Amino acid sequence: MSSCCWRLVIWYLPVRKRAGAGPRLQPDGHNREIGVKLLVIVPAYNEAKNLPFVVTSLRRYAPECDVAVVDDGSTDQTATVAAALGACVLRSSINLGIGGAVQTGYLWARDQGYDAAIQIDGDGQHDPRFIRDVLVPIERGEAEIVIGSRFLGEEGFRSTALRRAGIRYLAWILRVRCGARVTDPTSGFRAAGRAALELFAQRYPSDYPEPESIGIATRAGLRVREVSVQMREREHGRSSIDAWRTIYYLIKVSLALLFLPARATTGCGSGAESA
Amino acid sequence: MNPVLLPLHLQLFAAAILVSFLAWVVHLIRYHMLSLRDSLLWLLSTTAGLVATIFPVTLRWTATALGITVPSNALFALAFVYVLLNLLAATIAISGNAARVRRVAQECTLLRAEIAALRTRVDALTASR
Repeated sequence: MSSCCWRLVIWYLPVRKRAGAGPRLQPDGHNREIGVKLLVIVPAYNEAKNLPFVVTSLRRYAPECDVAVVDDGSTDQTATVAAALGACVLRSSINLGIGGAVQTGYLWARDQGYDAAIQIDGDGQHDPRFIRDVLVPIERGEAEIVIGSRFLGEEGFRSTALRRAGIRYLAWILRVRCGARVTDPTSGFRAAGRAALELFAQRYPSDYPEPESIGIATRAGLRVREVSVQMREREHGRSSIDAWRTIYYLIKVSLALLFLPARATTGCGSGAESA
Repeated sequence: MNPVLLPLHLQLFAAAILVSFLAWVVHLIRYHMLSLRDSLLWLLSTTAGLVATIFPVTLRWTATALGITVPSNALFALAFVYVLLNLLAATIAISGNAARVRRVAQECTLLRAEIAALRTRVDALTASR
Protein backbone atom coordinates (compact mmCIF):
# COMPACT_ATOMS: atom_id res chain seq x y z
CA MET A 1 0.00 0.00 0.00
CA SER A 2 2.72 2.42 0.94
CA SER A 3 4.58 1.67 -2.28
CA CYS A 4 1.38 2.54 -4.15
CA CYS A 5 1.29 5.92 -2.47
CA TRP A 6 4.90 6.44 -3.30
CA ARG A 7 4.23 5.68 -6.90
CA LEU A 8 1.42 8.23 -6.90
CA VAL A 9 3.87 10.82 -5.66
CA ILE A 10 6.59 9.76 -8.08
CA TRP A 11 4.29 10.01 -11.12
CA TYR A 12 3.74 13.68 -10.60
CA LEU A 13 7.33 14.59 -9.96
CA PRO A 14 9.06 16.16 -12.94
CA VAL A 15 11.27 13.80 -14.93
CA ARG A 16 14.89 14.24 -13.96
CA LYS A 17 17.08 15.02 -16.92
CA ARG A 18 20.29 13.03 -16.97
CA ALA A 19 23.32 15.25 -17.22
CA GLY A 20 26.20 14.11 -19.37
CA ALA A 21 24.20 11.48 -21.19
CA GLY A 22 24.13 13.54 -24.34
CA PRO A 23 22.67 11.75 -27.34
CA ARG A 24 24.89 10.90 -30.25
CA LEU A 25 21.84 10.55 -32.45
CA GLN A 26 20.70 13.62 -34.30
CA PRO A 27 17.06 14.52 -34.74
CA ASP A 28 17.53 15.91 -38.26
CA GLY A 29 17.69 12.55 -40.03
CA HIS A 30 21.39 12.76 -40.89
CA ASN A 31 22.38 9.91 -38.65
CA ARG A 32 24.05 7.88 -41.36
CA GLU A 33 26.41 10.76 -42.25
CA ILE A 34 27.66 11.23 -38.71
CA GLY A 35 28.18 7.51 -38.21
CA VAL A 36 25.19 6.62 -36.08
CA LYS A 37 24.13 3.05 -36.69
CA LEU A 38 20.44 2.22 -36.71
CA LEU A 39 19.03 -1.27 -37.04
CA VAL A 40 15.49 -2.29 -37.86
CA ILE A 41 14.67 -5.68 -36.37
CA VAL A 42 11.95 -7.53 -38.27
CA PRO A 43 10.90 -10.74 -36.53
CA ALA A 44 9.32 -13.01 -39.14
CA TYR A 45 7.80 -16.45 -38.91
CA ASN A 46 6.47 -17.70 -42.26
CA GLU A 47 6.10 -14.18 -43.58
CA ALA A 48 7.51 -14.71 -47.07
CA LYS A 49 4.39 -13.12 -48.58
CA ASN A 50 4.44 -10.02 -46.38
CA LEU A 51 8.20 -9.43 -46.29
CA PRO A 52 8.73 -7.84 -49.74
CA PHE A 53 6.24 -5.11 -48.89
CA VAL A 54 7.75 -4.55 -45.43
CA VAL A 55 11.37 -4.44 -46.57
CA THR A 56 10.75 -2.27 -49.62
CA SER A 57 8.79 0.27 -47.60
CA LEU A 58 11.58 0.18 -45.00
CA ARG A 59 14.10 0.98 -47.75
CA ARG A 60 11.89 3.77 -48.95
CA TYR A 61 10.94 5.46 -45.67
CA ALA A 62 13.92 4.59 -43.50
CA PRO A 63 16.89 4.36 -45.87
CA GLU A 64 19.33 5.28 -43.11
CA CYS A 65 18.57 2.07 -41.20
CA ASP A 66 20.05 -1.37 -41.68
CA VAL A 67 17.45 -4.10 -41.82
CA ALA A 68 17.81 -7.41 -39.97
CA VAL A 69 15.10 -9.98 -40.63
CA VAL A 70 14.97 -12.58 -37.89
CA ASP A 71 13.67 -15.77 -39.48
CA ASP A 72 12.32 -17.68 -36.52
CA GLY A 73 12.57 -21.18 -37.92
CA SER A 74 10.14 -20.56 -40.76
CA THR A 75 9.02 -23.43 -42.95
CA ASP A 76 8.44 -21.22 -45.98
CA GLN A 77 10.85 -19.11 -48.04
CA THR A 78 11.16 -16.30 -45.46
CA ALA A 79 14.96 -16.44 -45.25
CA THR A 80 15.46 -16.65 -49.03
CA VAL A 81 13.05 -13.80 -49.68
CA ALA A 82 14.69 -11.64 -47.01
CA ALA A 83 18.17 -12.32 -48.41
CA ALA A 84 16.98 -11.56 -51.95
CA LEU A 85 15.65 -8.24 -50.68
CA GLY A 86 19.12 -7.43 -49.43
CA ALA A 87 18.30 -7.57 -45.73
CA CYS A 88 20.63 -9.08 -43.19
CA VAL A 89 19.10 -12.45 -42.35
CA LEU A 90 19.30 -13.85 -38.82
CA ARG A 91 18.07 -17.35 -39.38
CA SER A 92 17.21 -19.49 -36.39
CA SER A 93 17.05 -23.20 -37.02
CA ILE A 94 14.39 -23.72 -34.36
CA ASN A 95 11.27 -21.72 -33.61
CA LEU A 96 11.98 -19.68 -30.49
CA GLY A 97 8.77 -17.69 -30.46
CA ILE A 98 8.49 -13.94 -30.92
CA GLY A 99 10.43 -13.13 -27.74
CA GLY A 100 13.42 -15.28 -28.61
CA ALA A 101 13.41 -13.95 -32.18
CA VAL A 102 13.29 -10.32 -31.16
CA GLN A 103 16.01 -10.90 -28.59
CA THR A 104 18.21 -12.41 -31.31
CA GLY A 105 17.80 -9.09 -33.10
CA TYR A 106 18.79 -7.16 -30.00
CA LEU A 107 21.82 -9.42 -29.48
CA TRP A 108 22.87 -8.70 -33.07
CA ALA A 109 22.35 -4.97 -32.52
CA ARG A 110 24.41 -5.11 -29.34
CA ASP A 111 27.26 -7.14 -30.83
CA GLN A 112 27.42 -5.11 -34.05
CA GLY A 113 27.55 -1.85 -32.13
CA TYR A 114 24.26 -0.29 -33.20
CA ASP A 115 23.26 2.89 -31.39
CA ALA A 116 19.54 2.22 -31.60
CA ALA A 117 17.25 -0.54 -32.75
CA ILE A 118 13.73 -0.28 -34.09
CA GLN A 119 11.45 -3.25 -33.87
CA ILE A 120 8.79 -3.75 -36.54
CA ASP A 121 6.51 -6.72 -37.17
CA GLY A 122 7.12 -8.73 -40.32
CA ASP A 123 3.44 -8.92 -41.20
CA GLY A 124 3.16 -5.41 -42.57
CA GLN A 125 0.86 -3.92 -39.95
CA HIS A 126 3.46 -1.38 -38.87
CA ASP A 127 4.12 1.52 -41.19
CA PRO A 128 7.85 2.35 -41.59
CA ARG A 129 6.85 5.96 -42.21
CA PHE A 130 6.59 6.32 -38.44
CA ILE A 131 10.14 5.18 -37.75
CA ARG A 132 11.27 8.81 -37.78
CA ASP A 133 8.67 9.60 -35.12
CA VAL A 134 9.59 6.78 -32.74
CA LEU A 135 13.27 7.70 -33.00
CA VAL A 136 12.77 11.35 -32.08
CA PRO A 137 12.53 10.98 -28.26
CA ILE A 138 15.64 8.76 -28.28
CA GLU A 139 17.54 11.23 -30.44
CA ARG A 140 16.59 14.03 -28.08
CA GLY A 141 17.71 11.97 -25.11
CA GLU A 142 14.22 12.03 -23.59
CA ALA A 143 13.73 8.29 -23.49
CA GLU A 144 15.52 4.99 -23.91
CA ILE A 145 12.45 3.18 -25.19
CA VAL A 146 9.73 4.56 -27.42
CA ILE A 147 6.52 2.68 -28.08
CA GLY A 148 4.48 3.34 -31.18
CA SER A 149 0.94 3.59 -29.85
CA ARG A 150 -2.29 3.17 -31.82
CA PHE A 151 -4.30 4.89 -29.14
CA LEU A 152 -2.64 8.29 -28.82
CA GLY A 153 -3.99 9.41 -32.19
CA GLU A 154 -7.36 8.76 -33.73
CA GLU A 155 -6.55 7.20 -37.09
CA GLY A 156 -5.62 3.78 -38.41
CA PHE A 157 -6.48 0.25 -37.46
CA ARG A 158 -7.25 -0.02 -33.75
CA SER A 159 -8.34 -3.63 -33.23
CA THR A 160 -11.68 -4.86 -31.89
CA ALA A 161 -13.45 -3.38 -28.85
CA LEU A 162 -12.86 -6.51 -26.76
CA ARG A 163 -9.18 -6.52 -27.55
CA ARG A 164 -8.95 -2.83 -26.75
CA ALA A 165 -10.48 -3.57 -23.34
CA GLY A 166 -7.80 -6.23 -22.76
CA ILE A 167 -5.11 -3.77 -23.78
CA ARG A 168 -6.44 -1.16 -21.35
CA TYR A 169 -6.45 -3.76 -18.60
CA LEU A 170 -2.80 -4.65 -19.32
CA ALA A 171 -1.89 -0.98 -19.36
CA TRP A 172 -3.54 -0.67 -15.96
CA ILE A 173 -1.59 -3.58 -14.43
CA LEU A 174 1.61 -2.26 -15.96
CA ARG A 175 0.97 1.12 -14.37
CA VAL A 176 -0.03 -0.15 -10.93
CA ARG A 177 2.48 -2.97 -10.62
CA CYS A 178 5.50 -1.77 -12.58
CA GLY A 179 4.99 2.00 -12.66
CA ALA A 180 5.03 2.24 -16.45
CA ARG A 181 2.52 4.52 -18.10
CA VAL A 182 1.67 3.43 -21.61
CA THR A 183 -1.51 3.34 -23.65
CA ASP A 184 -0.56 0.52 -26.02
CA PRO A 185 1.47 -2.08 -24.10
CA THR A 186 0.97 -4.80 -26.75
CA SER A 187 2.42 -2.75 -29.56
CA GLY A 188 5.37 -4.45 -31.24
CA PHE A 189 6.42 -1.20 -32.90
CA ARG A 190 9.13 0.28 -30.76
CA ALA A 191 12.53 1.86 -30.72
CA ALA A 192 15.28 1.14 -28.21
CA GLY A 193 18.34 3.23 -27.51
CA ARG A 194 21.71 1.70 -26.72
CA ALA A 195 21.01 1.16 -23.00
CA ALA A 196 17.66 -0.44 -23.77
CA LEU A 197 18.96 -2.75 -26.47
CA GLU A 198 21.73 -3.90 -24.15
CA LEU A 199 19.13 -4.65 -21.49
CA PHE A 200 16.90 -6.53 -23.92
CA ALA A 201 19.85 -8.49 -25.30
CA GLN A 202 20.39 -9.73 -21.78
CA ARG A 203 16.84 -10.06 -20.60
CA TYR A 204 13.73 -10.51 -22.70
CA PRO A 205 10.61 -12.59 -22.04
CA SER A 206 9.98 -15.52 -24.35
CA ASP A 207 6.32 -15.54 -25.30
CA TYR A 208 3.99 -12.54 -25.51
CA PRO A 209 6.89 -10.32 -24.51
CA GLU A 210 5.64 -6.82 -25.34
CA PRO A 211 3.95 -5.69 -22.09
CA GLU A 212 6.46 -7.50 -19.88
CA SER A 213 9.45 -5.98 -21.66
CA ILE A 214 8.07 -2.51 -20.90
CA GLY A 215 7.89 -3.51 -17.24
CA ILE A 216 11.43 -4.89 -17.31
CA ALA A 217 12.75 -1.67 -18.85
CA THR A 218 10.89 0.54 -16.40
CA ARG A 219 12.10 -1.49 -13.44
CA ALA A 220 15.65 -1.19 -14.78
CA GLY A 221 15.29 2.59 -14.61
CA LEU A 222 14.92 3.24 -18.34
CA ARG A 223 12.54 5.92 -19.51
CA VAL A 224 9.67 4.77 -21.68
CA ARG A 225 7.77 7.18 -23.92
CA GLU A 226 5.01 6.74 -26.44
CA VAL A 227 4.41 8.38 -29.76
CA SER A 228 1.33 8.12 -31.93
CA VAL A 229 1.51 5.77 -34.90
CA GLN A 230 -1.06 4.34 -37.28
CA MET A 231 -1.29 0.64 -37.88
CA ARG A 232 -2.78 -1.38 -40.71
CA GLU A 233 -4.50 -4.71 -40.79
CA ARG A 234 -2.39 -7.64 -41.89
CA GLU A 235 -2.00 -8.15 -45.63
CA HIS A 236 -1.72 -11.92 -45.65
CA GLY A 237 -2.49 -14.59 -43.09
CA ARG A 238 -4.03 -14.26 -39.67
CA SER A 239 -2.75 -12.72 -36.49
CA SER A 240 -1.04 -15.26 -34.28
CA ILE A 241 -3.43 -14.39 -31.45
CA ASP A 242 -6.91 -15.87 -31.84
CA ALA A 243 -9.88 -16.00 -29.46
CA TRP A 244 -8.78 -18.76 -27.08
CA ARG A 245 -5.21 -17.66 -27.04
CA THR A 246 -6.34 -14.19 -25.99
CA ILE A 247 -7.46 -15.63 -22.66
CA TYR A 248 -4.19 -17.50 -22.20
CA TYR A 249 -2.40 -14.33 -23.27
CA LEU A 250 -4.16 -12.21 -20.65
CA ILE A 251 -3.55 -14.71 -17.85
CA LYS A 252 0.08 -15.31 -18.76
CA VAL A 253 0.91 -11.65 -19.16
CA SER A 254 -0.97 -10.68 -15.98
CA LEU A 255 1.02 -13.25 -14.03
CA ALA A 256 4.26 -12.12 -15.61
CA LEU A 257 3.55 -8.52 -14.70
CA LEU A 258 2.47 -9.39 -11.16
CA PHE A 259 5.65 -11.38 -10.61
CA LEU A 260 7.95 -8.96 -12.35
CA PRO A 261 8.88 -6.63 -9.47
CA ALA A 262 9.54 -9.63 -7.24
CA ARG A 263 11.77 -11.48 -9.67
CA ALA A 264 15.56 -11.44 -9.63
CA THR A 265 17.02 -9.38 -12.44
CA THR A 266 19.38 -12.10 -13.60
CA GLY A 267 18.60 -15.73 -14.29
CA CYS A 268 20.16 -18.40 -12.11
CA GLY A 269 23.36 -19.30 -13.93
CA SER A 270 21.76 -19.66 -17.33
CA GLY A 271 22.16 -16.01 -18.26
CA ALA A 272 18.95 -16.14 -20.28
CA GLU A 273 15.53 -15.14 -19.13
CA SER A 274 12.93 -17.85 -19.34
CA ALA A 275 9.39 -16.73 -18.91
CA MET B 1 2.67 -55.25 22.09
CA ASN B 2 2.71 -53.49 18.74
CA PRO B 3 0.21 -54.77 16.24
CA VAL B 4 1.80 -55.74 12.95
CA LEU B 5 2.04 -52.58 10.88
CA LEU B 6 2.78 -54.23 7.58
CA PRO B 7 2.11 -57.83 6.63
CA LEU B 8 5.44 -59.47 5.85
CA HIS B 9 4.65 -60.36 2.24
CA LEU B 10 3.54 -56.77 1.53
CA GLN B 11 6.70 -55.49 3.16
CA LEU B 12 8.82 -57.80 0.98
CA PHE B 13 6.92 -56.80 -2.14
CA ALA B 14 7.31 -53.07 -1.46
CA ALA B 15 10.99 -53.47 -0.60
CA ALA B 16 11.57 -55.47 -3.79
CA ILE B 17 9.96 -52.75 -5.91
CA LEU B 18 11.96 -49.98 -4.24
CA VAL B 19 15.22 -51.94 -4.49
CA SER B 20 14.69 -52.66 -8.17
CA PHE B 21 13.82 -48.99 -8.67
CA LEU B 22 17.06 -47.99 -6.93
CA ALA B 23 18.94 -50.51 -9.08
CA TRP B 24 17.35 -48.99 -12.17
CA VAL B 25 18.43 -45.47 -11.15
CA VAL B 26 21.96 -46.73 -10.48
CA HIS B 27 21.96 -48.45 -13.87
CA LEU B 28 20.88 -45.19 -15.55
CA ILE B 29 23.70 -43.35 -13.80
CA ARG B 30 26.28 -45.98 -14.72
CA TYR B 31 25.42 -45.80 -18.40
CA HIS B 32 25.16 -41.99 -18.44
CA MET B 33 21.46 -41.90 -19.18
CA LEU B 34 20.79 -39.91 -16.01
CA SER B 35 23.21 -37.35 -14.66
CA LEU B 36 24.35 -37.75 -11.09
CA ARG B 37 23.06 -34.30 -10.32
CA ASP B 38 19.52 -35.06 -11.45
CA SER B 39 19.54 -38.48 -9.79
CA LEU B 40 20.37 -37.27 -6.27
CA LEU B 41 16.78 -36.48 -5.35
CA TRP B 42 15.56 -39.82 -6.71
CA LEU B 43 18.23 -41.72 -4.79
CA LEU B 44 17.56 -39.90 -1.55
CA SER B 45 13.78 -40.09 -1.72
CA THR B 46 13.77 -43.75 -2.78
CA THR B 47 16.15 -44.64 0.03
CA ALA B 48 13.82 -42.87 2.44
CA GLY B 49 10.96 -44.96 1.08
CA LEU B 50 13.01 -48.09 1.57
CA VAL B 51 13.74 -47.16 5.17
CA ALA B 52 10.01 -46.65 5.78
CA THR B 53 9.31 -50.07 4.30
CA ILE B 54 11.94 -51.98 6.25
CA PHE B 55 11.21 -50.20 9.52
CA PRO B 56 7.46 -49.51 9.39
CA VAL B 57 7.67 -48.05 12.88
CA THR B 58 9.18 -44.89 11.35
CA LEU B 59 5.92 -44.55 9.46
CA ARG B 60 4.02 -44.70 12.76
CA TRP B 61 6.30 -42.02 14.23
CA THR B 62 5.62 -39.78 11.24
CA ALA B 63 1.89 -40.44 11.51
CA THR B 64 1.84 -39.52 15.21
CA ALA B 65 3.97 -36.46 14.61
CA LEU B 66 1.62 -35.27 11.85
CA GLY B 67 -1.49 -36.23 13.81
CA ILE B 68 -2.58 -38.85 11.26
CA THR B 69 -4.48 -41.73 12.90
CA VAL B 70 -3.83 -44.39 10.28
CA PRO B 71 -0.14 -44.89 9.36
CA SER B 72 -1.07 -45.95 5.83
CA ASN B 73 -2.52 -42.47 5.25
CA ALA B 74 0.83 -41.03 6.30
CA LEU B 75 2.36 -43.31 3.66
CA PHE B 76 0.00 -41.92 1.00
CA ALA B 77 0.79 -38.36 2.04
CA LEU B 78 4.53 -38.99 1.96
CA ALA B 79 4.29 -40.77 -1.40
CA PHE B 80 2.44 -37.77 -2.79
CA VAL B 81 5.08 -35.37 -1.49
CA TYR B 82 7.77 -37.65 -2.95
CA VAL B 83 6.20 -37.49 -6.42
CA LEU B 84 5.57 -33.75 -6.22
CA LEU B 85 9.13 -33.05 -5.14
CA ASN B 86 10.63 -35.06 -7.97
CA LEU B 87 8.18 -33.58 -10.48
CA LEU B 88 9.07 -30.05 -9.44
CA ALA B 89 12.77 -30.88 -9.72
CA ALA B 90 12.13 -32.17 -13.26
CA THR B 91 10.19 -29.02 -14.22
CA ILE B 92 12.98 -26.84 -12.87
CA ALA B 93 15.46 -28.76 -15.01
CA ILE B 94 13.22 -28.31 -18.08
CA SER B 95 12.91 -24.55 -17.50
CA GLY B 96 16.65 -24.21 -17.14
CA ASN B 97 17.20 -26.21 -20.29
CA ALA B 98 14.66 -24.16 -22.25
CA ALA B 99 16.54 -20.99 -21.33
CA ARG B 100 19.86 -22.57 -22.30
CA VAL B 101 18.55 -23.97 -25.59
CA ARG B 102 17.19 -20.56 -26.43
CA ARG B 103 20.51 -18.87 -25.76
CA VAL B 104 22.44 -21.49 -27.74
CA ALA B 105 20.05 -21.22 -30.69
CA GLN B 106 20.41 -17.43 -30.65
CA GLU B 107 24.17 -17.76 -30.53
CA CYS B 108 24.04 -20.11 -33.56
CA THR B 109 21.86 -17.63 -35.41
CA LEU B 110 24.30 -14.81 -34.73
CA LEU B 111 27.28 -16.91 -35.78
CA ARG B 112 25.51 -17.95 -38.97
CA ALA B 113 24.86 -14.31 -39.83
CA GLU B 114 28.43 -13.41 -38.94
CA ILE B 115 29.77 -16.14 -41.25
CA ALA B 116 27.50 -14.99 -44.07
CA ALA B 117 28.77 -11.41 -43.66
CA LEU B 118 32.39 -12.57 -43.62
CA ARG B 119 31.80 -14.76 -46.66
CA THR B 120 30.46 -11.85 -48.72
CA ARG B 121 33.45 -9.75 -47.68
CA VAL B 122 35.89 -12.51 -48.61
CA ASP B 123 34.12 -13.04 -51.93
CA ALA B 124 34.32 -9.32 -52.67
CA LEU B 125 38.02 -9.28 -51.79
CA THR B 126 38.87 -12.29 -53.94
CA ALA B 127 36.83 -10.90 -56.81
CA SER B 128 38.68 -7.57 -56.68
CA ARG B 129 42.06 -9.27 -56.97
